[in-house]
Amino acid sequence: MTVLAVDDLHRSFGGIRAVDGVTFAVEKAEIVGIIGPNGSGKSTLFNLLTGALKPNSGTISLFDRDITKLPSYKIARAGLGRTFQIPALFVNMTVRENLWTSAVQFDWDNARSDADAVLERLELTHVADDLASTLSGGQQRLLEMGRVLMQNPKVALLDEVAAGVHPRLRQIMLDAIRTLRDAGTTFLVIEHDMELAQDICDRIIVMDAGKIVAQGSFEEISHDPHVMEAYLGVPTSE
Amino acid sequence: MSRPASGGNPYVNLGVLAVVVVALCFLPVMTSPYYIRVATGIALWAGIALSWNVICGYAGYISFGHVAFFGIGAYTTAILMQPNMDWNFWATLPVAAVIAGGVAALVGWPALRLRGAYFAIATWALAEAVRELTTVLHFTGGSGGLKTPIRLDENFFFYTMLATTAIAYAFCYLLLERSRFGFQVKALRDNEVAARAQGINTNLVKIEAFVLSAVIPAVLGGINAYWITFINPDSVLNTIITDQLVVMVLVGGLGHAWGPALGATAMFLLQEQLRVSYGETTAYIIIVGALVMAIVLFLPDGLVSLGRRARRMRLVRQLLGRVRDDVAPQRAEKQTEEATQ
Repeated sequence: MTVLAVDDLHRSFGGIRAVDGVTFAVEKAEIVGIIGPNGSGKSTLFNLLTGALKPNSGTISLFDRDITKLPSYKIARAGLGRTFQIPALFVNMTVRENLWTSAVQFDWDNARSDADAVLERLELTHVADDLASTLSGGQQRLLEMGRVLMQNPKVALLDEVAAGVHPRLRQIMLDAIRTLRDAGTTFLVIEHDMELAQDICDRIIVMDAGKIVAQGSFEEISHDPHVMEAYLGVPTSE
Repeated sequence: MSRPASGGNPYVNLGVLAVVVVALCFLPVMTSPYYIRVATGIALWAGIALSWNVICGYAGYISFGHVAFFGIGAYTTAILMQPNMDWNFWATLPVAAVIAGGVAALVGWPALRLRGAYFAIATWALAEAVRELTTVLHFTGGSGGLKTPIRLDENFFFYTMLATTAIAYAFCYLLLERSRFGFQVKALRDNEVAARAQGINTNLVKIEAFVLSAVIPAVLGGINAYWITFINPDSVLNTIITDQLVVMVLVGGLGHAWGPALGATAMFLLQEQLRVSYGETTAYIIIVGALVMAIVLFLPDGLVSLGRRARRMRLVRQLLGRVRDDVAPQRAEKQTEEATQ
């Protein structure tokens, strides 16, 4: 069952084609990694999927519903949660309040108990009443992950969610992703860490200069000449 | 169900508010009309400072034109109470609230897409526009202003102002600290993009917060117009009103439920004391400037954080330590006695 479908998506900034004719589909409970060098259009693609940016052309469908022109809050309500490349927390709120806030449009009536469960699961209970701004970088990423858990989305977009995270915290995060996937949540994960991508992703999409240059399993893309060119600068013809 | 809430224990917070209000209700039988007037002034300023705290402290939008809503309320009541209209005073207040709320929604819809200095300039322009309009329009009395019917009953205005402000505080506390709306408002203040990613319609929430922050000064402006019996653009649309309430909120505690009340009380009493001691003087402005600098440097969270900060101060800790040392040996002796028995 196709959960998310992207068709011929384009987005330019001035003369730069940040996303250039991207087309792909994601199946239910699939974990799809998106990799590519810096500036390849990964985060722009996320911003287009979540409505933070509008495409110049192309369509995005979530469960066969066209969400291309919906504002970002409606896309979130439709079941698409996300984290940000640079953690975007509510810095004047406590960790617990950050989690509560993620439930305002969802299961508000049970937000308090749900947040307690998320805090425990992500081992953030000891900092629950600290301001989000006082957390370490790794804890901030965990909190972003926690906010996604509070939303209980159908599709979760994680932008470098494990970057700079301590191995133990990273394991907690990966466990949470796997548990949610088993419960039916679909993931789209931007990642630079190839080991992590190999470990967790069912399929990988490789982007370069705004285009998809390869997709398939980790083994397939690791031998793809386009990927080697994008990452190592080795020309395809060689 | 386990719905979240912030802002401390609601029974304690609203209980303290109720106790303060009930205690103040006895003021007219305990003191002279002068102090009643002072208390009425404090209630007025505490209310309009609260309204500014809603849009700035909670929603994160700096409005430099908040006096516009105060003026709209004052003029609505004054116009409707003119002999040719002859409205009942109480009937004018909801009209004032609706007009101010409508203007806030209309102006807020485009202006709240701006942020920071741009929004501040837009609201300042709104206040100037309202001021200019009242100066040139015939039915507002132009620069000559309008008179309202005279009611020589200080207690009436004191109780009306006190009740309105107390209701506004209780309502804002419940709405901004105990409901999902409050979390939405605070989320857009901290990070609007992230708030939208949580499914929050930030454009709507911003307008709702702006309307709420406009309705309160409009009602208080209406009461004020009846109280002072004469209004003109200089008295109810002066930018100094916005300046003062900004200072009051900063001094009291920006973004805190009770900060504006504390700041308004402190600043109004200071202003009044200086006026009594030295007459009408510009010294007040100098003192306010120094006070704001001191607050920003040493007490950025305002007077509401004074207790918390004081507990951290070394001298206070030492004093508390001494008290503990004095008490502890006695306690130890008592425990030893009990153990031996």
